[in-house]
This record gives sequence, structure tokens and C-alpha cells, in this order.
Amino acid sequence: MPRGRAGATVRLGIAYIGHLIRHGVFRTHLVEAGTVAELYAPDHLTALTANERERLPQLSRCVNCGLCALAAGRVAGFRPGDLPIGYLRDYSLLPGTVLPASAREALAAAAATCPTGVDLPGVATMVVRLSPP
Amino acid sequence: MAATYDAIVIGGGVTGAGVARDLALRGRSVLLLEKGDWGGGTSGSSSWMIHGGPRYLTFDWETTRLSCVDAGHIVRIARHLVHRCVFLLPVLPRDRNGLEQMDTAMEVYDRFQPLKHSHPHRRLAPEEARRLEPGLTDGLLGALTMEEWGVDPHRLVWANVLDARNHGAVAANHSPVVSLLRDGARVVGVRYRQGGAVCDALGAAVVNATGPWAPRVGTMAGVRIDLRPAKGIHIVYDRRVSNYAISSEAIDGRELILVPHGPISILGTTDDDYYGDLDAVPVLEDEVAYLVQGMARSFPAIGRYRPVRATVGVRPTLFEWRRYEDDLSRRHEVVDHGPAGAPGLISVLGGKLSMYRLMAEEAADLVCSRLDQASPPSRTATTPLPGAAGEAPPAAELARAYGVPELVAARLRERHGDGVVALLEERRGEARRVVCRCEFLSEAELAHACATEQVTSLADAFRRVGLAAGPCAGTACLERAAEICGEVLGWSSVERSDAVWERLEVAWRGRAPLLDRWGWAQEELAYGARRGWRR
Repeated sequence: MPRGRAGATVRLGIAYIGHLIRHGVFRTHLVEAGTVAELYAPDHLTALTANERERLPQLSRCVNCGLCALAAGRVAGFRPGDLPIGYLRDYSLLPGTVLPASAREALAAAAATCPTGVDLPGVATMVVRLSPP
Repeated sequence: MAATYDAIVIGGGVTGAGVARDLALRGRSVLLLEKGDWGGGTSGSSSWMIHGGPRYLTFDWETTRLSCVDAGHIVRIARHLVHRCVFLLPVLPRDRNGLEQMDTAMEVYDRFQPLKHSHPHRRLAPEEARRLEPGLTDGLLGALTMEEWGVDPHRLVWANVLDARNHGAVAANHSPVVSLLRDGARVVGVRYRQGGAVCDALGAAVVNATGPWAPRVGTMAGVRIDLRPAKGIHIVYDRRVSNYAISSEAIDGRELILVPHGPISILGTTDDDYYGDLDAVPVLEDEVAYLVQGMARSFPAIGRYRPVRATVGVRPTLFEWRRYEDDLSRRHEVVDHGPAGAPGLISVLGGKLSMYRLMAEEAADLVCSRLDQASPPSRTATTPLPGAAGEAPPAAELARAYGVPELVAARLRERHGDGVVALLEERRGEARRVVCRCEFLSEAELAHACATEQVTSLADAFRRVGLAAGPCAGTACLERAAEICGEVLGWSSVERSDAVWERLEVAWRGRAPLLDRWGWAQEELAYGARRGWRR
């Protein structure tokens, strides 16, 4: 068996032929998304839904200017800006978060002042869904 | 009178810190010197990956094997600092490697995965891949999973420095070596600057672990060291842009990766020969565009996210003529410069983050073989780094016990491992107050870093504890942070103000090439908030 680069190419070539034979004889084994998600659940790889994924860039525009906190103060114990800049960022570590229904109104008022147009009630909805029970 | 050591290690990246730790654990006296901050060069601007490198299977299986073996050791000794990175490797029509070729490569890589405690790969149909990662493009042929490990390189470097110090080493950052001391041809020590003073230190061996700066140290000893320095940039996003790490093919067929690391994502990397100034490596707008375009092929939404900074580093790749940058081996060499006319000088060249421990062990073995007394074998493969020996309480429990926000507790736990309880006990009063809300950094941790982790500037605090690393880029936290650091370090009010401006200006260099409209608005905000202070 040659060594170095030539050896690597030969070995990969042999592996490729073996792979094609195996997959010609046996059916290719495909796994489902749920199997992968289950395997990595202990690593906190929480999947966003397609809708959340689509909205995430818009929900991520907060630059922490503080205007929302000026407008609405604390909402359910949070500064409104903490939701997009803190809680939404690392959902693998999200603590259990509960926001009362009354918070939505205050968040909507806070969002009205946002210069980058972050939908704070939308952020809150996502944070609550992602938080562990 | 010059202090005398068994070994002097120049370079406070992960390799130099690893060499110092290895020698200190063997009972050797060591001086470790770094011209900037720990991990502030190539180590800190890496992809934050402890990876085996399946890419090297096409030309260098031995590097893949060694990387996987050493990654297995690092994962064990630094378990609080590492996290599993699960990759989705989408295969698109007209990719350089088709689905069956990729599947074959992963089958081969599966043989190495147990070495680093990882699972074998899985193969997914297109619709199942998109269920896992809804941001993937339509038209996939399929996808494969693959595992690597992620690590915060700044904390990894610091953990090595700290352990070296715990075992008797002297470690000084911001202490550039200005010349080597000679006795005839023999290299017998170093002259270095520390603060305003010039100091001399003598050592039986001097280890050059300065990465891409190695030729410069070689010149001080009159020996020629040839490297093939390669520049690599990364784009940092302020959040988890994807659920899984994703690979994608760039326009030239190179493989790019987008990797979530906790609250950030890193997109990289480029690989280009670099001949410029190692202390002022620019990030170019076309490099940024190259990365975003390449990742958008598999993950189109990437262009809609706001990057917060770019990082740049230079790889100390071993010299090879006529080889395309991406095909260069990531092997390493430990060179004794005795035969070249500089006995006493040893250089560690090449290599990669995921093999740092092995490189350090080999360098330390060579140092020990040059010393008079016999030395015990290396223990770095099995001795846990500080924070990794025990199990830290869960974040929720810490939050309840010390009254800190749970995300603060989680961050503390990630960075300090089983040392978190001692830190919280020591600084109970400051633990509840959050200084950087983006990173959930407590005043306690920042003060602790200044007092015990050799943080001497806000830039050092960015590396050590993530100060101002988040979406606001320091707009909201730098003044308060300067007050806290100033209190511990004895800064005057002018020095506190200077520290804020210095940090903003350094950060600007990494932000300028990638600002979009929201980024410019934020930059205006950050500077506008300080208008009137000066300038």
C-alpha cells in the first residue's frame, strides 16, 4: 500500500468501491429526523420550527439601545431587551420562562419604540415555547 | 540578577500554554511569556473546534488519526469547556463530492470517531434533513450527520496557563521578548519587556511556540525557519443561526462551516497564503462576501442575519512548495535548532488546535531530554484541567443558592467548571449584578477575572469572560465594565475612559468589514452615546 497522499487516495478508493457494493446489495439505511433529534437531545439541540427559523433574523435585530426599557420598564421581571439579546440567543440554556398574558400588551408598547423593528411579543412567544417546562 | 528556569516558553497560545503546563506538571521550573494576551493570536481566531479533520482523509490519514486521539484526551481533561458539535452535511447537485462519496468518507471517519467519544454518522433523506434544519435549501440530494467537539479557545488557553501556574510556573502576558541571550552559539535565555521594565531570564532550554511568529524568533537566534503562513477569517454572528452545524461548498469547491457555539455562531473559513504584517492582518470585504455567498448555497437565510464581528488569524502551516493552500498538511514538527547553530532553542511548528496537547507533550519531551536530571513522563493526557476534576452543580441550583439569574449561573458554570462555587462564595455581593446583559456576565466574574486571571484591559476581559461579545458590541456595558476593572486594577478616571475608547477602536477593526445598515446604526449609537467625552 503506498503511503502519503497516494496511499490516502488508494484507501479512499477501496472504501468507495466497498461502499458501492454494500449499497448495491443492501438497501441504503436512512434514519428519520426524530431519531437524530432523540440522539442529541442530551446536547440540548432544540430544533426551531420552520416558522421560527423564518422569523429569527427579524427577531434578532436588537442592538440593545434601551428605548424599549425606557418605554415599558420591566415586564414580568425582565427588561424587554433581555428577551432578544439574552434569552433568545442561547435557547439550549433557556431557563423555564413564564410570561403572563398581560405582558404582551406591555411588550407591544415597548416594541413600538424599537428603532430596528424587533417584534418583542413575537420574541416572547418563541422564548416561552423553547423554555423547558 | 536574572531569574533562572529549566525552560522558558515564548508564546502564550494554546501550544505554548500546553508546553508550560506539561513541564510544570513534571516538576520543571518554567517561565511562560506572551507578547499580547493569552490566546490572542492564532488560537483565539480559530473555528473553536477540537476536530479530527475528515477533510484530511483525502491526503493525510495520520493527521486525522492523531487529531482524533488527542481530541479524545482534550475532551476528557477539559470536559466543562467542550460541547458536542453535531454537523449536518447537506449534499447538493453538482457538489464536488456526491452523496455516495460523502457517505464513504463518513464511513471511513466513523473508524476514528470512537477515539474522541463520538457517534458514527447517520444518513438522512432530504425532507428529514430539512425537518431537522428548516433553513436548509430546497433541492438537497440528502444529508449526513457527523460529530466534532467545540471549545472556547480563550478559556482552553487560560485553563492551561492557570494549571501551569498552579504547578509553579511563572506566566506573564503583555511581556514581549525583545532578544535572545546567548553564550557563544548557545541560546541561554531571553530579554523581555514587562510594563516599563526590561528583564532577563535564563533557561536551560528556550521553546519557540509562537505559531506564525516563529520565524521572527528564529531570526533572533540566527536560524532560518520556513513556514507557509495562511490567513483565515471567520464571521461571528450574535446567536445560534442554525440548530446544527452546517457545511457548505464555496464557489471554489472549498468546504465552509457554520457552527453554533452556545449563544454565537461562527462561519469560516478562508485559507490564503499571507505575506503581510502578522500584527495587523486585515479582514477584507471580499473575504466576508466569499464566506456568506458560500454558506448561502446550503443555508440561504445566512444573508439575513447580522454579523457582529470578523476574526482573523494566521495559521503556522509547515512549509511546502507548489501546494494549494487548502491541501497543505496540518502536521507539526518539533525542531531542535542545535544542529543549525543555535543549541538551546527548540521550535514547535505547524499543527492545529485539536492536537495542541500532543505537540506540547513532544516539545516537553525534547526539553526534558536536554536537561540534566531525569524527568517523569507527561501527565497532561489524564490530568484534568482546572475546573474539570469534579462536577459543578446545575445552573438552576446555583441560581437558587446564590440569587443569580440562571443564565449567569450557566455561563459561570461553562467557564469555571467545578470552580464556580468557590467563585460565587468569594464574591456573593457582586454575583447578582449583571454587567454585560448580552452575555449575562456578572460583576463578580469580571472582578474575579481582573483579580486572578491576568485581565489588564477590556480587550483581555472580552477574551477571558466574553465582555461585550454579544449583540450590543459594548454599547451598554463598557463604561460600567471599566469602572469594575478600574476598581480592581487601580485605574484613574482618565484610564477608565481610555480603556473604553481603546476597546471600541479595537472592536471596530473587526466590525468595519461587515456592517450592514443595522450594524451602522448600532455603531452610530455606540459612538454617539460617548460623544462629548472627548474627540
